[in-house]
Amino acid sequence: MKALIIDDEDLARAVVREHLSAHPDVEVVGECANGFEAIKAAAHHQPELIFLDIQMPKLDGFEVLELLEAEGKRPAVVFVTAYDQHALKAFEAHAVDYLLKPFSKERFDSALAKARALQSAQPSAPPAPAAELASSARQGRPLERIVVKDGPKVTVVHLDRLDWVQAQDDYVLLRTEGKNLLKQQTLASLETQLDSSRFIRIHRSYILNLDRLVRVEQDSKEHRDAILRDGTRLPVSRAGFQRLRELWEGA
Amino acid sequence: MHPLLASRARLGAYLLGWAPIALLLTGIARSQGWTWAEAACLALPLCLLAALLFLSAWFLCRALPLGRTIEGLGAHGAAWGMAAILMSGLWAGLAWMLARLLAWIPGLEALPQRVGSALPVLTGLGILLYLASVALSYLMLAQDRAIEAERKGAELQLLAQESELKALRAQLNPHFLFNSLNSLSALTAVDPVRAREMCVLLSDFLRRSLGLGERRLVALREELELARAYLAIEQIRFGARLQVLWTVDAAAEPALLPTLLLQPLVENAIKHGIAALPEGGTLSVAAEVLEGHVVLKVDNPLDADSPAPQGLGLGLRQVRQRLLGRFGSRARLEAVVQDGIHRVTLVFPLEVEP
Repeated sequence: MKALIIDDEDLARAVVREHLSAHPDVEVVGECANGFEAIKAAAHHQPELIFLDIQMPKLDGFEVLELLEAEGKRPAVVFVTAYDQHALKAFEAHAVDYLLKPFSKERFDSALAKARALQSAQPSAPPAPAAELASSARQGRPLERIVVKDGPKVTVVHLDRLDWVQAQDDYVLLRTEGKNLLKQQTLASLETQLDSSRFIRIHRSYILNLDRLVRVEQDSKEHRDAILRDGTRLPVSRAGFQRLRELWEGA
Repeated sequence: MHPLLASRARLGAYLLGWAPIALLLTGIARSQGWTWAEAACLALPLCLLAALLFLSAWFLCRALPLGRTIEGLGAHGAAWGMAAILMSGLWAGLAWMLARLLAWIPGLEALPQRVGSALPVLTGLGILLYLASVALSYLMLAQDRAIEAERKGAELQLLAQESELKALRAQLNPHFLFNSLNSLSALTAVDPVRAREMCVLLSDFLRRSLGLGERRLVALREELELARAYLAIEQIRFGARLQVLWTVDAAAEPALLPTLLLQPLVENAIKHGIAALPEGGTLSVAAEVLEGHVVLKVDNPLDADSPAPQGLGLGLRQVRQRLLGRFGSRARLEAVVQDGIHRVTLVFPLEVEP
């Protein structure tokens, strides 16, 4: 069984490696100190099991798992974390296994056994998607950034750099700093994760960062356009206009 | 207990307040052809009696607090009226009995008859005086409530400050603690000597935090020692990712400042700086004395891809509040981002232990 250890602290990786040495059938194919390395190593080694820290620089554990999923890979996961009450609640709720630092050999072995069992048996229900875990761990707080895998490149889009989002079938097109990025997700599911006071669904196919809006122009009786700072025009539906108006009147 | 009975001074003032009424009564009696003796012998004890009887208005008022609205005032009014009639009736009755008693004294034989004819006037006067007593009671109750509210407010504020400080002192960062224990767990197998070193550092840090938590003011030297212990542990955890640069002017070390002001700055620098950077960086702590003020700076590199922090976070706001709470406008806290470096600067007057 091929395993990958992902943690930004050398000593934390060392503990996992040490515990794994008692299980000769598990081969540690790589150790990664951050999320970018993890994505690369996973593509290269195709691990069946990952030990995943949650708090890491650049990409957190949830984002790493989300990007792996987007590649169609979902290795067995054991989350390893020191202290994150919200994440623990999310794990409990979604029956995801985790280790609390520091952990005992017994606890480690039992987590490994569970992960192994899950890996060999066909699970009755698919594991909870990483995005769902992450959103559950955020406890209703809105998303702060979106991770997108574009070929071999991973891009982190901080939401204050996101101009607007367009629905494209099963994908969303994210417009940020003059670039278009595609991510497999529906507009509706993205909408629920965004801060509804900053990002407004102005149209069936568009979500707009309110900060970019300059004005709304009425072309004809039933047709309105949102004019953005950079001059872009996006269509505004009647329901979308209604939402904008509610926001203005509420402010 | 009635507030007027609670203190001699208040009771004295209250009874003195009845003196003009006694004079008035005497005057009325005189105008009705009473002798001086008759008027004085009746007016004085009657006023004393009324003063004591009408104290009861306060209990009635306390039982019938005034609402904010005019509703219910009718019921209250009826109660006041009934009580006024009852009490003044009692008062007049007692006056008549007193007159009968005083009639034994030579020269006052005519008193019962005089009082008998004055009973309606006495009752009327009693009602008025009782209602005045009701008004006075409400005034006293309102004043008591205001004083009580003020005292409670001050108490609450004090309590809030205390509990905030306590919470701050007890705020041992669990993330730090468990990660350190995990590093320790790793070291026991690979490097027992460093594991022991880590145990000592961690104990040192915990002991210092507990000790500092007991005090309100502390010398900068001790804050720096705590930060040194903390960063020594984080250096084991982060390895080569964390370098620490100390630039401390010895003249700044004895400066007094509120407890645990530096620690949150250093913890922030780790959390938002070093821990967010794959390659880590240098955390710098500098302290110097300039024109009678201590200038304390904590620098850390920031992830260039992340948006710069907007305004002060909760931790920094608390630090600023406590700093200004101690030094007022003589101190300031600034946080700036320049060239990828986040810098927090504290400036406060150099005050040392006497």
